[in-house]
Amino acid sequence: MLIFKLMYLIRGYVVVRLKDANFEKIMNLLRKKGIVMWDVEKKDNEIKFKISYDDYRKYQDIIKETRMETIKKKGIALNLRKIKVRKGFVGGLFILSICLYLLSSLVWNVEVIGTNNTTAKKIKTVLEENEIKVPVSQGSLETKSIETMLYKNFDNFKFVEVYVEGSNLIIFVKEKTIEPSEIKNNDPTSIISKKNAIISKVIAKSGQPVVKEGDVVYEGQTLIMGIIKNKNSEEFMMVPSDGIIYAKTYYNFEMKEEKIRDVNVSTDNRKVSFFLKINGKNVKIIGDKAPYENYNYKENIIDVPVLSSLTNIKIVKGVYYEETVKKIEIDENTAQNKMKVAMYDDLIKKCNKDSKILKSSINFTEDEQYYYLRAQIEVMEDIGESVKIYPMTDVKDEINEENQGG
Amino acid sequence: MGKFNNFRSYLADNLEIPNDAFSDNFDLRMHGNKKVIIENHTGITVYENDEIGIKTNDQYILIKGSKFKIEEINSFKVIVKGEIKEIIFSKE
Repeated sequence: MLIFKLMYLIRGYVVVRLKDANFEKIMNLLRKKGIVMWDVEKKDNEIKFKISYDDYRKYQDIIKETRMETIKKKGIALNLRKIKVRKGFVGGLFILSICLYLLSSLVWNVEVIGTNNTTAKKIKTVLEENEIKVPVSQGSLETKSIETMLYKNFDNFKFVEVYVEGSNLIIFVKEKTIEPSEIKNNDPTSIISKKNAIISKVIAKSGQPVVKEGDVVYEGQTLIMGIIKNKNSEEFMMVPSDGIIYAKTYYNFEMKEEKIRDVNVSTDNRKVSFFLKINGKNVKIIGDKAPYENYNYKENIIDVPVLSSLTNIKIVKGVYYEETVKKIEIDENTAQNKMKVAMYDDLIKKCNKDSKILKSSINFTEDEQYYYLRAQIEVMEDIGESVKIYPMTDVKDEINEENQGG
Repeated sequence: MGKFNNFRSYLADNLEIPNDAFSDNFDLRMHGNKKVIIENHTGITVYENDEIGIKTNDQYILIKGSKFKIEEINSFKVIVKGEIKEIIFSKE
């Protein structure tokens, strides 16, 4: 029965009503004509039943004669017949589907990820030179051959991946980076000073210390030399230096803090605006742009279910919170603490982790507008830094080589 | 007509042929007391919510019950749904 009903749902059926006292007779008449009736229901003095749409059209005369009322027509075939009548609509639908297919099967944009703008432009130029110009059909793109082409054209590429995502051709690039030269343990090194300081302790594990306690050293000055004299012979030899040089360093700080400061305080007012984000540009739909003089702006991007995945269009909800500027007087203690914290933060950046403050003198002054901090901090820290040393090439050999070359 | 039909029925029974295929006898099947399928009928005589009369070649079938609904009717069979309480067969 279910299949029978499903079949007529596809082919189409008509619900009719019969208001006749002698409906059994009419039903028998229809039955004799070969008309199939189903879902026959009786209510008071009328009966309602369904007949197929084909029978309805075939025996329309009998239906009129028996004064049957058509209540509704249903079925997929009937709906298709209606669509057939709307030729323009069907044509439009057909054109739309073709356009959608064409637009979605083309690549409209080339996106380069992982490199700067200049290289991205160069990549696009190389693609254009090799006749890959957007819009291009996705079927004609061979990602592997593009990868090979890019490897050939750019020597500094470590990794290239090309793939199509939606209507974008994504080129993911990783460039080779020049690795900083590392000092190997066996390379001969000297230790030099990083800062201007007064030496307080020299612990030389290897190498020849050239400074002693109490010496004033300047930035770049050698502290432990990587050249030592061989005990057995008179020759000099180069060794990797190792050691710790503790020295006193001095840091001077000058800071100021405003006595009265402007602070933005938010009011309860807010306004909401909606924008359409197309390729990174905002187009206003509802609301004002910058409705307040002072405001705090927050935005929320809303993806439109189908549209955002097909295109790059998004809806942006922007909320402007009104703010007013208030002048706040800062008390002396707060200002001093703030300046101190900022000073120590600054100091930590300049010193090593193992550094130790020996002495600090901090002076606070003030005038009509500002609080001032002047401080000198004496710090004990390791000031040594390893640098690689190279053997001197013989000057005579170089001259000979030049003469031979000439 | 009646005698000839009886003979055909007798013959079908002995030859083990389906009776309704060989004779004009109706075929009645019931699914519990919810559904009656009658094949080989010749029309409906009464249709009420609590009573349905169906005519066959030599019998009248009167089905009594409640909430009756004709699920399907065509020239060959009729399917009646509802709560069946009684089926009465009568001649003419």
